[in-house]
Amino acid sequence: MSTDWNALDTEVFRATVREFFEKNYPPELRYPKRRLRWAEIRDWTLTLSRQGWLAPSWPKRYGGMGLAPEKLIAFIEEQERHGVGRAPDMGITMVGPLLIQHGSEAQRAHYLPKILACEHIWCQGYSEPGSGSDLASLRTSAVVDGEDFVVNGQKTWTTLAQDATHIFLLVRTDPAVKKQEGISFLLADMTTPGISVRPIRNIAGHEDFCEVFLENVRVPRANLVGELNKGWTIAKALLGFERIFLGSPKQSQYALARLREAGETLGLFDDAVFVDRYTQLALDVADLGTLYARFVEQVKRGETLGPDVSMLKIFATETYSRLANLLVETAGASGGTPGDIELDSGHIDVLTTFYNARPATIYGGSNEVQRNILATSVLQLPA
Amino acid sequence: MSPVLADQDRLQQLEMLRSSAAGFAARESPPSRARALRAKPPGFDRRFWNAMATQGWTGLLAPESLGGYGQGLAEMAEVAAALAAQAAPEPVTPVIVFAGRLLQACAANEIAQRLLTELAEGRTLPAVAWQEDPTGAASFARGGSLAEPATVCVRNGDGWCLRGGKRHVRPGAAADGYIVSATSADGAVLVWLPAHNAGLTKTSERLADGTFAARLVFDDAAVPTSHLLATGVAAHGALASAYDETLVLTSVELLGVSRRMLAMTLDYLRTRKQFGKAIGSFQSLQHRAVDLLIQQELSAAVLTQALTEIDRGCSGVERALLAARVKARCSDAALTIAREAVQLHGAIGVTDEYDLGLYLQRALVLSAWLGNSGIQRRRFAALSRASHAPAGAAA
Repeated sequence: MSTDWNALDTEVFRATVREFFEKNYPPELRYPKRRLRWAEIRDWTLTLSRQGWLAPSWPKRYGGMGLAPEKLIAFIEEQERHGVGRAPDMGITMVGPLLIQHGSEAQRAHYLPKILACEHIWCQGYSEPGSGSDLASLRTSAVVDGEDFVVNGQKTWTTLAQDATHIFLLVRTDPAVKKQEGISFLLADMTTPGISVRPIRNIAGHEDFCEVFLENVRVPRANLVGELNKGWTIAKALLGFERIFLGSPKQSQYALARLREAGETLGLFDDAVFVDRYTQLALDVADLGTLYARFVEQVKRGETLGPDVSMLKIFATETYSRLANLLVETAGASGGTPGDIELDSGHIDVLTTFYNARPATIYGGSNEVQRNILATSVLQLPA
Repeated sequence: MSPVLADQDRLQQLEMLRSSAAGFAARESPPSRARALRAKPPGFDRRFWNAMATQGWTGLLAPESLGGYGQGLAEMAEVAAALAAQAAPEPVTPVIVFAGRLLQACAANEIAQRLLTELAEGRTLPAVAWQEDPTGAASFARGGSLAEPATVCVRNGDGWCLRGGKRHVRPGAAADGYIVSATSADGAVLVWLPAHNAGLTKTSERLADGTFAARLVFDDAAVPTSHLLATGVAAHGALASAYDETLVLTSVELLGVSRRMLAMTLDYLRTRKQFGKAIGSFQSLQHRAVDLLIQQELSAAVLTQALTEIDRGCSGVERALLAARVKARCSDAALTIAREAVQLHGAIGVTDEYDLGLYLQRALVLSAWLGNSGIQRRRFAALSRASHAPAGAAA
């Protein structure tokens, strides 16, 4: 617990982390093709918890590893490299930093240890049926009644809500003011009467996200985080340098490796057309890696990321999408077959990448919204 | 330009060089100067070249022992970028980088030493003559390395003679002489051929931007043994290395041109009004502009990596892969930005009197020169398969 990770040489730190993953991460869960459910990733998450590595970014005094940006990036890159599946991590990545920065002492004392012990699994109640890209227009209301807020409304695209014990909500507490100024942050127990969850089946056939219905849900006033009506400001401030991971080249590098395997298995590297298209994508992936490294350097120097980081998310996800397109095309007549496609030697899977590429350009701020941000904030074009 | 270059002192010096080069270029080389020189041989201004020499730019890369300043590619990049931003037509990369680096690699040879000294002083403009076919595709062997030239250098009494021909030689017929790649009984050779050598015929070709390239024909052009600058592996290695470095510096020029075109376009989008508002407020145009920004920044990131790694020293294959990558990216980005800049400007973008055209024409010339993006991709694919190191395929 008391190891000063930041004092270690980054390469030594990487090796330590890598060795632990290699020794302890279940091999059958490496490079999962879909989002893992809590029941599948639970044992691994508990292993990390026992090791004291569940919250790499949290300060040590709250039970985290206290990693500086450079070490945190190394930790996450090693996870990606080993193909470690993503656990339901909203408690670690969002609720922890939220409470550490804006929570009360009582909230921190109550929630943080339970997140670290995997007793509480959190989900994020942001988007609504009528509020996606225009999130600030959200309408789920919270009205004070005695010692409680009474919450009514609906959240959607709530990742793994069916596995969560708790939800953090953006709710409207003042409908009379400018839309950004009437929003508050609430914490709710999923077992509170009036909360119901309906999983949404996606086009890949998985239930990665859910609708969450809130009907006269009584949330104690003590569960308000920060000041009333300051929720929007807090939510924006939570968008730290972790945004660069939306533009990580790892997903594209993985897809390129699949494309290369497919090309080799099908003998396509003798086809000049395939080679040129493959090379074009290989160069896009290589150049994406270089652009990513430029932003990583910025974070390592301790600088805050500017709005220009949006370009990374756009290029990363659109490169990934182009890779998926060529993969599907490469499969030819088998391009409509989900899962493993049997070949004369070996097999390939093309639709998993295709399906994964679809939400990538939508979540975390759709690429269209990212372009709006770049146009006005970076290019200084008139609104 | 190069935040990855670690040394703080050097970063400061680069910063100073950047601002002094930009100041000089803006003052002494407005786009109107480039416009006036178009299509009139030699297509550039020797007096401006002398002014560049006074600035120390022609000798920037040459070693101090030969009258230069012994600086690196990053310093040269600052100068090349500043001049490209003004559409200056002087042959900075063909002469200072391509010929200069080649001569430096051959500096054991007395003629090469003398030529490099004169180049650094701005007195002599040598050009490199190596490509032989119309598209340049035949310049590379199957594995992506430089092909054996069809031009031959054969024994002729006490000396040698050249037979064959070259294309795409910049800065054309105005060069003071040519470093010619050829094949001899001893393997590759690099030969110095003065501009007025007997048996040499030069034909000028006007390029899109109003500068000139030359086609050379060698009809048993006699060459004394002293003019054989390098032979065999040394000759091949010198050409390969100088070629890659020139690809990188040409990419610097392409990025300089791209930046200028995007900046002009953004100015236009902010000020041009239609339907009662600035056209830059329209989302479809904003998104197109953002896509150009992404291409520009990808170019900049890859260029910084290439300059840093080549400066630090890397293997021949690594250098070639990086150079091909950066030339492919910067060529495609510049042509995309050029086309989109015209479209976003509307009809004014297709007029000759508007300066955007100067940059578009330069982008056409620079992206084609030394192998366009398609050729570089093919070379990259061949090199990575030969070295079993496909880019990006890490997992």
